[in-house]
Amino acid sequence: MNTQPAAGHNGDVAVDIANVAKNYGAVVAVKQVSLPIRRGEFLTLLGPSGCGKTTLLNMIAGFEAPTAGTVSIDGRDVTNVPPHLRDTGMVFQNYALFPHMNVFDNVAFGLRMRKVEKQKIAHDVEAALDMVKLSGMGGRRVKQLSGGQQQRVALARAIVFGPSVLLLDEPLSALDKNLRTQMQFELKDLHRKTGLTTVFVTHDQGEALSMSDRIVVMSKGEIQQISKPLELYSRPVNSFVASFIGEINQLPVARLKRSGKAVAFAFQDGLALDAGNDGAALPEDDADVSIFVRPESIAIADASGRAGNVVNAKVVSHIYQGTHTVTRIEAAGLGLLDMRVGGGQIIDQKPAGSAIDVHVSLDNAVVLKAVPETK
Amino acid sequence: MNDRRIWWFFIVPCMLVALAVVMSLAAVFQYSFREFIPGSLDTGGFTLENFYNIGRPLYFLVILDTLLISLLTAIFCLLLSYPVAYALVRTEAEWLRALLVILSITPLFTGEIVRTYAWMLVLGSDGFVNSILMALGIVSAPVQFMYTKFGVIVALVHFSMPVMIILLATAISHVNRDYEKAAANLGAAPLVVFWRVTVPLTMPGIVASTVVIFAWTMSAFATPQLIGGGKVLMISNLVYLQGLSSFNFPVAAVLSAVAFIAAVGSLALVQPFVTRLERRVAQQ
Ligand SMILES: Nc1ncnc2c1ncn2[C@@H]1O[C@H](COP(=O)(O)OP(=O)(O)OP(=O)(O)O)[C@@H](O)[C@H]1O
Ligand SMILES: [Mg+2]
Repeated sequence: MNTQPAAGHNGDVAVDIANVAKNYGAVVAVKQVSLPIRRGEFLTLLGPSGCGKTTLLNMIAGFEAPTAGTVSIDGRDVTNVPPHLRDTGMVFQNYALFPHMNVFDNVAFGLRMRKVEKQKIAHDVEAALDMVKLSGMGGRRVKQLSGGQQQRVALARAIVFGPSVLLLDEPLSALDKNLRTQMQFELKDLHRKTGLTTVFVTHDQGEALSMSDRIVVMSKGEIQQISKPLELYSRPVNSFVASFIGEINQLPVARLKRSGKAVAFAFQDGLALDAGNDGAALPEDDADVSIFVRPESIAIADASGRAGNVVNAKVVSHIYQGTHTVTRIEAAGLGLLDMRVGGGQIIDQKPAGSAIDVHVSLDNAVVLKAVPETK
Repeated sequence: MNDRRIWWFFIVPCMLVALAVVMSLAAVFQYSFREFIPGSLDTGGFTLENFYNIGRPLYFLVILDTLLISLLTAIFCLLLSYPVAYALVRTEAEWLRALLVILSITPLFTGEIVRTYAWMLVLGSDGFVNSILMALGIVSAPVQFMYTKFGVIVALVHFSMPVMIILLATAISHVNRDYEKAAANLGAAPLVVFWRVTVPLTMPGIVASTVVIFAWTMSAFATPQLIGGGKVLMISNLVYLQGLSSFNFPVAAVLSAVAFIAAVGSLALVQPFVTRLERRVAQQ
């Protein structure tokens, strides 16, 4: 389901994962993954817990050997090369800073292993610490640092020797929310400055959307979609991706009806909604479709001032979120839906239980051919 | 308040045992201040002479030998046990782990005498090792292992290894694998990872277990008695000779006190150092 053309074996592929699989006994951790990673890109592996992100990263770093397939770095097949000869820089989830060394020695470790001359080590370490805003902190003991500072040291240690690829396994998950947002900016900044090919692992879709050049969505050891963030959000290729990326409502299965240029969806109990676009990208006439609608595409009818696609509903509950409110409604023929309303006035205007007419815009809806349930 | 009472069930027996130990030690040590009356089981009045006496070469050399044998035993025991403990903790092969556990831990369940006899069979003039050496033509006459310090140390090292392996395995298992992975990722070959990361992070365990084995070996008796055969004397053998052959209880008591102080002292001296090391390598 790779939506991007596979990059060829010219110089623009930094890491090439080809038909890689990994089994632990009967457990299939990664199933047949092919993923060319472009030089200099910020690529994110996104997926729920246990989908094989760490396993894939470990196979790039060399900590796990694939059961099948090959891994190449800079055009060299490294499938059977041990980790210390792979030239990857990894930041571990727990940072794994050496507790018996100070900040300088931690950052210098990779350079010393590469037999870099002493003066250059001192210079490069300071430059790397500078890059992560820890100038002059080389003498500190690791334990004297805050979580955010340890994170930066781990980053400096991984980038100081200019690795072929920077591997980040959920590096921000141990930080509190404010610090995490700040580190997201700094990571992007660092990526811009260094131009390092970066593979970032997360199960946080917001993090993935905000930082990545490309996102690889994985589920159960398989790649579901590879896309740019915007495309992933607006054009998910299957129901897994649609429901995993951002909040989304899945409407009951409907039948697609074309009449001329207009397209409508007929739901089982007689309700019909207009597709809102010319339907060029939609499935054929009479197909059963699953429709996914973002909460921001549902609005209070009288406020939207638009005709058509108005559905009667009843308010179930509100969740106030500061800038907006997520209101759960029970819509006739559509079931439970979440809608997103600006501000918080709706909480007093339409308390739980009150009737409400909503406008369901399908302009940006994701329409996929319904797959018969197999489970 | 009531649930505090349960502590007495644990504290009272502990106190009783501790009291018994202290009293018997006191009973032994009081002899060290008594005058030796040759040919009599009784001792005389108060004297400090016994403490000067152990400065005599006969005693002093045995004390030095004991320290040397204990030190060498502890060091060789460390060198041999660390790889076993490392493999035990880090191997991914379950069968290897099981094999190592069985091989290294089961000797704990055979007594010291049994194991020492086994070593006599191995080290004797027509023992296992000499038979092989002669059969291979490496030596023409049996090598003397029995009644040598070398033989005693070999047997003592083997005797202490199970305990050492358990102590070291505990220390190694507390090292998060991610440190080793991180070092490998940064370009360190497996041996470099071992020296630069694993060994430093287990240093508190290394020091502590070496001192424990050192102190433990200080009190070895059956092994030097049987394998040393009177030619290699450690303090406890001398205590036995002085106390139960010559009935010189005062000197035996002084020697016991020396061994006791050396053992407890070495543990006490090293403890602050181990604590510092532990703080240094504490993993967050
Ligand atoms: N050493 C192992 N032995 C057996 N199974 C393993 C091993 N490592 C991983 N697995 C299994 O492989 C699957 C993928 O694991 P992996 O750690 O790659 O997931 P992940 O996507 O990184 O999840 P998370 O977000 O929780 O870190 C899981 O089902 C996991 O249980
Ligand atoms: Mg993981």
